[in-house]
Amino acid sequence: MNKILNNSRLFFHGALLSYIALFHWLRPMTYLATKVVSPLFQILFFTLLGMYATGRENAHFYIIGNAIQVAALSGIYGVTFSISGDRWEGTLAYLFGTPANRLVLFVGRAFMHVIDGMFGIVIGLTWGALLLRLDLSKTDPVALALTIFITTLSTSGMGLLLGCMSLLTRNVMFINNTVYFLLLVFAGVNIPVSSLPLWMQPLSYALPMTRGIAAARAIIAGESLKSVAPLLNSELLLGGVYIFAGYLFFRWFEYQAKRRGTLEVM
Amino acid sequence: MNIIEVDHLKRIFKANIGIIRRKTKEVIAVDDISFEINPGELFGLLGPNGAGKTTTVKMLTTLLIPTSGTARIFDKDIVKDADDIRSQIGFIFGGERGLYWRLSGIDNLRYFATLYHVEPEVSKKRIPYLLELVGLSDRGKEKVEGYSRGMKQRLHIARTLLHDPEVLFLDEPTIGLDPVGARETRQVIRDLQEEKKTILLTTHYMFEADALCNRIAVINHGKIIALDTPEALKGHVQDLSVIEVEVYGVPPDTVERLKSFPFVDLVSVEDRDQKQALRVHSARGSEIIPDLLSALDGIRVGRVSVHEPTLEDAYVRLVGAAT
Amino acid sequence: MIWRRFKENARVVLAAFELTVKQSFTDSFVLFGILVQPLIIAILGIWMLKERGGDYGIFVVVGSGMTGLWTNLVFMSGNSITEERWTGTLEFLVAQPTPIQWVIFGKNLASVLQSLLSMLGSYVLAALIFNLSLEMAHPFYFAISLILGVISFICFGLVIAPVFVMNPSVQRWQNSMEYPIYILCGFLFPIALLPGWTTPLSYLLSPYWAAHALHGASSGTLTFSEFALSWFMMLLFSAIYLVISQKLFRVMLRKARIDATLIGQ
Repeated sequence: MNKILNNSRLFFHGALLSYIALFHWLRPMTYLATKVVSPLFQILFFTLLGMYATGRENAHFYIIGNAIQVAALSGIYGVTFSISGDRWEGTLAYLFGTPANRLVLFVGRAFMHVIDGMFGIVIGLTWGALLLRLDLSKTDPVALALTIFITTLSTSGMGLLLGCMSLLTRNVMFINNTVYFLLLVFAGVNIPVSSLPLWMQPLSYALPMTRGIAAARAIIAGESLKSVAPLLNSELLLGGVYIFAGYLFFRWFEYQAKRRGTLEVM
Repeated sequence: MNIIEVDHLKRIFKANIGIIRRKTKEVIAVDDISFEINPGELFGLLGPNGAGKTTTVKMLTTLLIPTSGTARIFDKDIVKDADDIRSQIGFIFGGERGLYWRLSGIDNLRYFATLYHVEPEVSKKRIPYLLELVGLSDRGKEKVEGYSRGMKQRLHIARTLLHDPEVLFLDEPTIGLDPVGARETRQVIRDLQEEKKTILLTTHYMFEADALCNRIAVINHGKIIALDTPEALKGHVQDLSVIEVEVYGVPPDTVERLKSFPFVDLVSVEDRDQKQALRVHSARGSEIIPDLLSALDGIRVGRVSVHEPTLEDAYVRLVGAAT
Repeated sequence: MIWRRFKENARVVLAAFELTVKQSFTDSFVLFGILVQPLIIAILGIWMLKERGGDYGIFVVVGSGMTGLWTNLVFMSGNSITEERWTGTLEFLVAQPTPIQWVIFGKNLASVLQSLLSMLGSYVLAALIFNLSLEMAHPFYFAISLILGVISFICFGLVIAPVFVMNPSVQRWQNSMEYPIYILCGFLFPIALLPGWTTPLSYLLSPYWAAHALHGASSGTLTFSEFALSWFMMLLFSAIYLVISQKLFRVMLRKARIDATLIGQ
């Protein structure tokens, strides 16, 4: 019991700290710029491009896809920095020196970003409803909330893996930016997965978000939670795989770093 | 004619404090200073951190406009004639910043040579010469990011000599260097002095000022509290002796009590690992030792020694008196 | 005397140009902005506009190339002074005898010319990977439009760099400055798609005229007088930007010397 208590404290403490560390420069205007206004224009751009390409009647396809993709801001950038930040600040050595449960320590870093990412999607969909007349009248709110949660979770799972990989390179931003943009192409955000060349489609299904976006589109179109359950289950499973892979990578990195004494140097 | 003339120079900074209720606080960084520097002179500006040394240098190098007062270099005003002055002076600020780290040392020098309008034929010869002068000949082609701190600071010296300025401002050139690096840098400064450059050097190391400067201005809280040759400054404390007592943990009230003794002129405490060195200035020399030791009763005492006053003691006395 | 000064300043521009190119070789941010992001946008554009049919290949090449030009302008030219402040070199640039405008001009020239690689990259991608036919209706008009576009981008860069360095609060919006321009300037879809009240905004942006002329020259849908109008607008805006930037640089240098805020402590 004590152990659970300890670990949950570790979890939330780490979560909060990593969030504060990331946003220590946070001011209301910065938050507004990066998390509210910037996504709006991205959603607008791709929705307009989509409308130009396939007609006004398909606007909802692009709005939903791009609104959900907003979660990648927190899930990828946020989570990655909460892991790589330790390295730059030299605190990684201290973490590796503690007896703390690594899995809890590791997953705790993503927690606040999951909440932040969900919030981002809600803002994105709100923009869609306000400015682009996205129709949410047939939507089951509970099902949508669950979809948002699972999608953000699995995206953050990939963020954890990327974060660990970022421990090996200096070009964290390059990798993050590239993955962020690749999601726009391959996760069914702007292009239906079925329109991609056949040999690329497996890549789409290996990415988080792809199924979550499909589920969100179905739910907003009026389908029930039950009918999208298989999509959500797979999305959740995929997220789990990413988290686990990231965790293994993290342990491997810790082991290698201790073995070679390369914790603080590249 | 003096090359640099500083006349009642003053600089006030306004700092915003408080996030919600904005208050402006005025800080007087340089408070009405005047001095002049002769051709070929190495003039030291000595003072503790935050005394106003860097602010003075920034005003003289045309980077800051004084709040009041004037300064002239080559009889040109540092505010109105900034453009004319800039091509004739060179300056460095201690530290590693201010170089393009992703480029080689030579690339950095070439770039600044162009900015200073050094003709390409001239800089082709001058850059290798300067790299030689600062001891970087064999590392010039490497990227600056791989340089040690000392190498970066020496590259700065080479950079500022590209256009062969007659006047140099060296702001804490040895700050943060290891003893070897600092010694090498001081040697470069001596070489420049031999070339008859006029140099204003700021430092907070007394021995450095003592070793290099023709004249020293001691600056504290923005004011010049003494200006003289190193010898004459030492003369301020010549009538005193310094008794140094090693102690292990001296409480502040004991120090205060020592200060109140009539025969004690000044007491300073310097931390040395687990022990401290009490430096007591007194005109009566070694004869006060018994009194001192009885005042320190109950405290573990190490070595006791009597010294001639150094420039450092003069400095401590000057700065201590001004606070 | 004038000739000598011209020669010195031209050398400074070239030196700043060279320095910028050398530094961006090793900069993954620049690589991403010039190649990765515009090429991914090109792929998106190609796949999305395929549905629409028609001669979309060259349209996407020009449009995604413009996104590359703009994004790099915001980040590279926009940061051209700020980054000197970060490295601590700004003081040295202010205190050297060449007016700092020439240095920043050289840096902007380099970054804008480099970001033409975005368009070239998109062209290669569309031609070689997607096998699209990329016919250019008026190559000569295209060249003129591109040159004028580059000039207006450089001039605009000279405005945003001092604005950014003087107003960190504006710079925080840097990330939000990409897509609005992509939208308002009609890079990848016509502005007719937007509500009418935004049209005057588009007319006030020189990238709009650049995209207008470049799309027109590649598709052959503009008349000569429409080209002439776009060219005139680009030149007009370039001139306005130059005047504004001269003023901004003066304010910036004065502010730097009075507050000491621009060049650190």
